[in-house]
Amino acid sequence: MELRQPSSLAELDGADGLALAGGTDLVPLLRDGLVEAETLVDVRAVVPRGIDGGTIGAGTTLAELEVDPESPQALREACALAASPQLRSMGTIGGNLLQATRCWYWRLKYPCFLHGGSTCHARQGAHREHAIFGNEHCASAHPSDPAAALLSLGTTLRTDRRELPLADLYRLPTEDDRDVTALEPGELILELEVPKPEASTYLKAMDRTRFTFALVGVAAARFGSETKIALAGVAPIPWLLESADDLDRATPLPGTAYKVDLARALVRRALDALA
Amino acid sequence: MARLIRTEKEVEGKYTEQWVVVEGEDEALDQWPQGPRAVVGTPARRQDGLQRARGEAEYTADLQLPGTLHAAVLRSPYAHARAKVDLTRARATGWVRGAIGPGDCHVLQEEPSFHGAPVAAVAADSLREARAGLELIDVEWEELEPLLDPEEAVKRESFVDDTRHYSRGDVEAAFAEADVVVEGEFRTQVVLHNALETHQAVCRWEGETLEVYISTQFIWGVRDSISSQLGLPPDRVRVVCNYMGGGFGAKNSPGDHTYIAIALASQTGHPVHCALTRREENLAAGNRNATSQRLRAGARSDGTLVALEGEYVNAIGWAGFNGPTYGPIEMLYACENVRTVTYGAKLNLPPNAAFRAPGFVEGTFGLECLLDELAGRLELDPLELRRRNYADKDLVDDRPFSSKNLLECYDRAEPHWARRDEVRARSEGPWQRGVGLASQIWYGGGGPPSYAWVRVGSDTRATVITAMQDIGTGTRTAMAQIAAEELGLPLERVRCELGDSARGPYASISAGSSTTPSMGPAVRAAAADAARQLLEIAAQRFHLEERVLSLRGGQIVSADGGSWPLEEITGLLEDAQILGKGARGPNPAGMRVLTFGIQVAEVAVDVETGEVVVERIAAIHDVGRVINPLGARSQVEGGIIQGIGHTLSEARLVDPVSGKVLTQTLDAYKLPTIADVPEIVTDLLDIPDEHLTNLGSKGLGEPPIVPTAAAIVNAIRDATGAEVHELPVSREAMLRALAEAREREKRGAPAAV
Repeated sequence: MELRQPSSLAELDGADGLALAGGTDLVPLLRDGLVEAETLVDVRAVVPRGIDGGTIGAGTTLAELEVDPESPQALREACALAASPQLRSMGTIGGNLLQATRCWYWRLKYPCFLHGGSTCHARQGAHREHAIFGNEHCASAHPSDPAAALLSLGTTLRTDRRELPLADLYRLPTEDDRDVTALEPGELILELEVPKPEASTYLKAMDRTRFTFALVGVAAARFGSETKIALAGVAPIPWLLESADDLDRATPLPGTAYKVDLARALVRRALDALA
Repeated sequence: MARLIRTEKEVEGKYTEQWVVVEGEDEALDQWPQGPRAVVGTPARRQDGLQRARGEAEYTADLQLPGTLHAAVLRSPYAHARAKVDLTRARATGWVRGAIGPGDCHVLQEEPSFHGAPVAAVAADSLREARAGLELIDVEWEELEPLLDPEEAVKRESFVDDTRHYSRGDVEAAFAEADVVVEGEFRTQVVLHNALETHQAVCRWEGETLEVYISTQFIWGVRDSISSQLGLPPDRVRVVCNYMGGGFGAKNSPGDHTYIAIALASQTGHPVHCALTRREENLAAGNRNATSQRLRAGARSDGTLVALEGEYVNAIGWAGFNGPTYGPIEMLYACENVRTVTYGAKLNLPPNAAFRAPGFVEGTFGLECLLDELAGRLELDPLELRRRNYADKDLVDDRPFSSKNLLECYDRAEPHWARRDEVRARSEGPWQRGVGLASQIWYGGGGPPSYAWVRVGSDTRATVITAMQDIGTGTRTAMAQIAAEELGLPLERVRCELGDSARGPYASISAGSSTTPSMGPAVRAAAADAARQLLEIAAQRFHLEERVLSLRGGQIVSADGGSWPLEEITGLLEDAQILGKGARGPNPAGMRVLTFGIQVAEVAVDVETGEVVVERIAAIHDVGRVINPLGARSQVEGGIIQGIGHTLSEARLVDPVSGKVLTQTLDAYKLPTIADVPEIVTDLLDIPDEHLTNLGSKGLGEPPIVPTAAAIVNAIRDATGAEVHELPVSREAMLRALAEAREREKRGAPAAV
């Protein structure tokens, strides 16, 4: 395996290979053979790092974001509740948006829908950590806390090729395309533009106090009279709710019905906190 | 003189009669008076703490014998299959140095019967090459139907062990006469040991001797198993374990990996290292089996238990043992009429292994939760209910206890229990708070045979030599403390050398809370033998009678007030050395040696989200004399933290269709982290058992985990009225129990508290 270390975006241009920043997700995926790459491209010198008002470099670590007084509370809380201090010191916000699901069937290389197969093993099998929305073909749950926070905040991404709303980064896997993101091959997230809400918060239910992925994460951000709610851990992608009533339209599996109750309780709390 | 004694030996409740050779002065020594002494009973930091922290301590994984090859194991990806193994392609390479399949080693299976069962293995110069070598093994798999449901296994009579039946008194008649009968079905999950150091061994032939460097809880058991499996004289097997990173019961025997390393070492003529990865550790290194428990308790209106009944199904897996889930219901209370039946379901799932008080952790959860439900029905204080059913003798074998201070434990629990009004009053919004308690019973008496030597040199330093292992509990330090106390030396002048069957006498297993009670008395006897010799020499040197001399504070002290530095005697030794020998004597005949205790847990439950936070646990245990209060507290804290994981977050999950293990890594299998650790208050009675050995010490490794789950779940019930009957208390389990409690209340059933 080759490691390339370009020092500028120009130098990166046209290079093949997989982008490596903090490596907290990619390295285990490579080690477990879930991702294969001939070339890794260390993008740390290429991707901006740091926070300037509402503009966040994609190379900024979660540890830097969680203590940034200017960043919205939902984002800070989501970062602080993610992973462990060691991982947050390595992991970047850009990489975090692209991290792979923790679905055990997918991680254990079952020939599941997300891997290109025809069935979702979780639907028939063990799925207590899985989805309650968008789970018809694949019941995996998206693991990112900050993604839900950024979604509720109406974040826009700037890549090396275009600008797009964060909501458009994610797509449910379909028969024709099993990917959960809309990035083109080689496309690199460079910056995030995060609007400043009047108030925001992130609440997270976990199996233990810290250092585990969300069973349900709830982000809420209030802009004027409008409050946006986004959830983590409930669908194959971060999930935006039109309103709290959307939870009535959840499609839980037998083992994930409790997540609907959990989401209801946390959404109510988040809305109370912003009121 | 050596004496041959016929004695009863107990390991985790299994009794066997055996011959024991005892030499030395175990029984001749009076116990020290109760209370802390100069060294014993005084907190001591681990003597090897710095080596461990600095990475200098050599674990099996650190060993680098010249020419070592690394093994990788091909494991069954199916819960049940037939495997036709072809090693031709692997053997044809130059770099696969050894390759074995079924027929080459008895642990490799042609019909693997659980996910992770070893089927074949290779050795190569590096682990990376060994893993690549696995790709060159051709296997024709024929997948077979797995049996996964324990109830179905019972129906089909698919059992690992014989079904165990027990009864005393007339249970049916007693239930008929009971004023109140409560019943319930309880379930516990599979949990994994996850010792920091995975199972591993390095095996090497040195001439006709097989050297086995292994992370083990039982050097001599590994030696015995291997010698009988290979047909070698035991003395041709040398077993070494200087440092190990935990075992929790899963490292009592050699394990498949060791036999694989031996077979590959024999085939290649090289040392072979076979270490499990974390994934393999979570697949095939043993587990605490799941249980289901149908329980019934009958009582008079004053709370006196008149009948107890338990039907237990241990979901053992493909192999293992039918553990004593029935233990607490038979042993904890003074109930005349008890009946149990215990099935050991054989399933196409990975085998169980002993795990920190196997059976009793699970059985205590069911029994002690049911007892609290009984207390609720009777409107009786749960602590008072337990006092009223105190057993002053062992009802299983009709024997007196060697010592039992459980009532004193209950008294000391009172102030913690009395906090409940204040704790409940701190409930706020969705956060409901409550307090729960549970009693503890377990073995922990240890026994013979166990031997130790103590060597004293001209430097006035002493070395304890015994071929035991330090599982990680601080045994080295505790043994040095005992010898130092007996020799009247400061602790820093005494060390303990252990870990090598070729370099010390036989020592017992580090399991069953038996290390201190088995080894400690032998070490004290050996130190006393060395002290006696030193005093004999001193008597000759100073022309005094030996009986007026003693060793204290590094001095030889005479009854008339004279004292001399011990150096004056050891200085005479030059290159000569004093060697004391000691043996563990038998346990008190006709008595039942057990440990007791109680824990009081305080919890907060978020009734809207099902979150459970354990805020405080007070642990009061009666384990005889405490050797090292610091090490003992550490054991209590470790047991409780492991118990919290068992209660709240840990669960090994399998795919219900295929029987494959899904939680193989530590992101999916959720051990508690430091953020889950509550305030822990440790209170050890420290009352020597006057009938047990020259120390009066019992073991403490297991007692602290026994009542934790029940105490937490009883506190949840106190806080919310919800009756949780399953572990772990996950969000979904807690929300379900809360919903059921609300239903009960709606139907007008009496409130649970």
